[in-house]
Amino acid sequence: MIDAFISLLAGMSSVFLAYYLAALGHAIVEKSGVLNLAIDGIFALSVAVAYAEAVYTNNNILASLLLTAIVAALFGMLLAFLVTKFPISHGATGLSMMFLGYGLASLVGLPARNLQGSIRGLEIGYTIDVYNPVWIAVYVAIVLIGLGALFLINKTKIGAAIRAAGEDPAAAEALGVNVLMVRLFAGALGFALIGLGGAIFELAYVQVWSEGTGMGHGWLAFAISLSAGRHPLLLILSSSVFAGLVKYMTTIQAMYNISTELAKMLPFIAAILAMVIFMATPLRRRLAPPKSLGKIYFREERTV
Amino acid sequence: MEFPISMIIVRRVKPLPYWIVPVLALVVGLLISMIILYAMSGGVITPYDVLVSIYYGFTNVGLLAKTFALLIIVGIGLLVSFKGAIWNIGGEGQFYMGVMLAAWVALFSGFAFNGFIAKTTMILMAVLAGGFWALLAALPRAYLNIDEVPVTLMMNYIAYYIVDYITKSEWREKQYGFRKTPRIPETTMFQVIDGTTLTLELLILMIVIFVAVWLLFKYTSLGLRIKVLSSNPNLLRSSGISVQLTVVTALLLSGMIIGIAGAAYLGSVSHNINYPVEEYTPGYGYTGILVAWLSMLELIAVPIAAYIIGALHTAGISIQIMGAGGAAVVNIFIGSILLTYAVLITISEYKIKIIIKKR
Amino acid sequence: MVASQAESQKSFFSSPSTETPIIKLEGITKRFPGVIALDNINLEIHRGTVHALLGENGAGKSTLVKILYGIYTPDRGRIYVDGRPVRIASPMDAIRLGIVMVSQSPVIIDRLTVEENIVLGLEKFNMFAPIRRIREKIIEVSETVGVKIDPSTEVWKLSYTQKQLVEIVRGLLLGARVLLLDEAITYLPLEEKKKFYKFIRKFADEGGTVILITHKIPEATDVADLITVLRRGKVVGTVPVEGTSIEEIRKMMFGEKSGEITYERLPPGNPGEVILEINDLWVRGDFGDYAVKGVSLKVRRGEVVGIAGVAGNGQKELIQAVMRLRPVEKGKIVYDNVDITNKTTYYLRLNGVGYIPDLPAKYGVSIENNILENIAIIPTFSREIISWKRIKSLAYKLIREFEIKTPSPETPVKFLSGGNIMKVLVSRELTAATKLLVAYNPTRALDEATAIRVRKIIKSKVINENVAALIASEDLDEIFQISDTIVVMNSGKIVGVFPADKAKREEVEHLMVM
Repeated sequence: MIDAFISLLAGMSSVFLAYYLAALGHAIVEKSGVLNLAIDGIFALSVAVAYAEAVYTNNNILASLLLTAIVAALFGMLLAFLVTKFPISHGATGLSMMFLGYGLASLVGLPARNLQGSIRGLEIGYTIDVYNPVWIAVYVAIVLIGLGALFLINKTKIGAAIRAAGEDPAAAEALGVNVLMVRLFAGALGFALIGLGGAIFELAYVQVWSEGTGMGHGWLAFAISLSAGRHPLLLILSSSVFAGLVKYMTTIQAMYNISTELAKMLPFIAAILAMVIFMATPLRRRLAPPKSLGKIYFREERTV
Repeated sequence: MEFPISMIIVRRVKPLPYWIVPVLALVVGLLISMIILYAMSGGVITPYDVLVSIYYGFTNVGLLAKTFALLIIVGIGLLVSFKGAIWNIGGEGQFYMGVMLAAWVALFSGFAFNGFIAKTTMILMAVLAGGFWALLAALPRAYLNIDEVPVTLMMNYIAYYIVDYITKSEWREKQYGFRKTPRIPETTMFQVIDGTTLTLELLILMIVIFVAVWLLFKYTSLGLRIKVLSSNPNLLRSSGISVQLTVVTALLLSGMIIGIAGAAYLGSVSHNINYPVEEYTPGYGYTGILVAWLSMLELIAVPIAAYIIGALHTAGISIQIMGAGGAAVVNIFIGSILLTYAVLITISEYKIKIIIKKR
Repeated sequence: MVASQAESQKSFFSSPSTETPIIKLEGITKRFPGVIALDNINLEIHRGTVHALLGENGAGKSTLVKILYGIYTPDRGRIYVDGRPVRIASPMDAIRLGIVMVSQSPVIIDRLTVEENIVLGLEKFNMFAPIRRIREKIIEVSETVGVKIDPSTEVWKLSYTQKQLVEIVRGLLLGARVLLLDEAITYLPLEEKKKFYKFIRKFADEGGTVILITHKIPEATDVADLITVLRRGKVVGTVPVEGTSIEEIRKMMFGEKSGEITYERLPPGNPGEVILEINDLWVRGDFGDYAVKGVSLKVRRGEVVGIAGVAGNGQKELIQAVMRLRPVEKGKIVYDNVDITNKTTYYLRLNGVGYIPDLPAKYGVSIENNILENIAIIPTFSREIISWKRIKSLAYKLIREFEIKTPSPETPVKFLSGGNIMKVLVSRELTAATKLLVAYNPTRALDEATAIRVRKIIKSKVINENVAALIASEDLDEIFQISDTIVVMNSGKIVGVFPADKAKREEVEHLMVM
């Protein structure tokens, strides 16, 4: 019995880590007031970048993780910069980056796949979903990261600055916060985590690639983040639920004898339900979203 | 940190003519797309290739005409909700719900004996289907303040899978190896207008929807409420108008119109459903977003935007990259143009002054 | 008459004129689209003084202060601090120079704690260090200002006065040498103001500098050493408080219009039948606790009931409840003999109620839309199908009657000046209010002359058309000027009801704060 449970946990450790990092990164970005509708596009792009880098470097995992984090962070900084410096719609900017992300993902992944096809025996990724001690390290890491993030956000000055920028950027500015710098930082850090999430999703879980790999999972991370009130520790809970759902989709399908399509729908239905449950209960008041999330920030005039 | 360059943004006294931003966004966006395609393809896709396919897109009237008409309908549908700042990204789902219900009527309802009854029912059912699908996203948004973007988007996936499921199993063409529905009966196909790829019904629908929405925003309180919803929902509340109801209505109407587009697509273009839908969809739900935006949410400009975007859409798909579909190129187009548009819209309202400081 | 002609700079320095002013403004000019906010401002502020910047709304004082605090940059001109030319491009720059601003609406952020808010401005404080390190220091400084607050409290739990005090504590902890008080204490009743006066005097005596921005003359004369009067973006003159009469100051502030500016009580209404009756009303606030605790009130036709109170004592929630914009927990509201406790705002709109909300630009108009649309959106004026012809004729009528300056009724309202936007709102709501006008801070953003004119229009409508008015205002002058009955709210309850001609100012102020 315990054995089955442990192998269950071990089996989903890769997806769990991927979702957790992506959701945490997303939460950090949004806490600074930047609405992140680009998440799915950048997640898909990260998946492709991690894959491509692994192919080109003969499966150098570290290089892939690093490169993906950097690429994603750059996009994060772009988003944060644009919406803070110009009085433009966060939603439109994020969405456009989503489309770009999808497009770029294909442009990055396709040549790499052709290359992989021509190299015999090139396997991608590093498996952790097995009954060996690595998965324990993953779970421990998640808890540690969560605690670290919680400390950063709630107990340090940079955390207060991030939250201030998310609550009321004009007031934050008057209080002495450089809102642009703070959002750039949150954007870089947050998107780096999203990128890592995508990279881990690809390298530790899917381990193959075709056009469209990863699409949709960014939105799951979005829903995970929202339904946990963007709280670093609660995120652990919600990402584990979704990780289980996604990893064991085929098992559930077999167990309850439902079609592939219905099984594929489940995570999305669950995501919508999770968000509805969160917003419909008092949870939403205790873990309220940042007041100025997505609001266009504009002073009568601004200087660099 | 002291930078030598300083940027000041000041509100303009008089805004720029409204057409400058979309045109600029198109040009700059395409430029950016060309750069991206060139760089990412390792020099394989040159700007020349892009221009050639754009030319092809604009001149291939046959292909363009039906894309054009359908994009107008979808564009108008999206315009209705965008005008209320409700970002309906669920066009794909609402479209395919329309396709699905229309297909049901055509194939299984038994109405096929009479073309007129069948087609009218197809359209009506599509309206209901698209509207219903939008409603499912509208209610959480209106009453729980759940961002409609992730919800409508995820519902696109759900819609795809529902249609996939039903195409693959219940409605499957009963022949070995075929993963699609049978063609809809002749009587339910829309009537082709000689010499074009357009159908009569499609044309009529396009015109009717255009006029209806024009009337909506010109003369009805509902239209005004949707507009004020985007500019100041607080005012709606102070006036005693239910913000929730306005949100729901805007999204509902949007979904209904896009559902019609789905039925029109089935009747005029595809005549059946292919599995898997994700691969065969023309993607109007997404390109339509660009049409609505580029028309600056002005109804009159929608046909123009639809023409341009339709041409770009055709162009994009025709650019083959490394053996895979051109959907990626279309995404690059959409992304670049939308991004440029989102940023450039600043300049219509604000003046940007760059000051280089001397030490 | 004389003062308005005299652009003569009457200056006088209380300290030796050879001492370098701590702040000097030279030729400061600032333009916004269509309006010159500041025109060639020259000003010297000396250390150890309390220097008042006096001017009515729209005179430019707020713009000037925002330039000093780095929120705006001047188009022309120079700023000198301690004799050195400086560039203040952000609040952080100002803070580094020792200049800290406290404004009328607290900038400290509700959801953060006191210590978090304070630490944000402390440059030397490490980004990654735990915030609680600053707690001791905060408590220490708070005591010198005379306030006892636990620094780990979230700001939304504090009262308005407490928030302003925290802002001062923050200023001190940031090493403020110059405190810019931008109408920071204007809306406090006298008793609370006196606490601040004590502190301000002490601060100045110990070598600090205070620049007090206000549009109320008594505030300036109560605590300042010098007064600089601004009018329409220009410095009219700088005078010492001692030796200058109120009359002179008024003339400097208002110029030719000074005759119009009077806070004399407007003619009384003649109360008739009760149109609005509130019975033992309990309403919850934004954070879950009760904001209105058992209020009972009657408003009659032909009368103005004015609700006096410091911000945050339940007036906002009461007004919103009456307008059905907030749910009622307990109690009853009866309007025109109909129990409206469970009815909607829509019902009120169709039955002769007009509403001027607080923060009108946020809640009362939509600046992206034009005047026609801003009228048509109110159900009072149109139903399902809009008759633009009718709306247009109404719009023209309002434009004429209220002298609204706009290129055309089809111009988006955002291109109008603040005062004209208010006129659109007020004229619309006055037209809609055939039986009852409900308002909160109806003239807050207006310049004095327009504000008084609006109050006159409201009062005459009440008298001539037998309309009832329920007006809550944080401006006590306004309450005294316009009301027939004055009601004082404190902590969600009604603590005093007075017929306006018998009400005593000190008593009302006392009730507002006890």
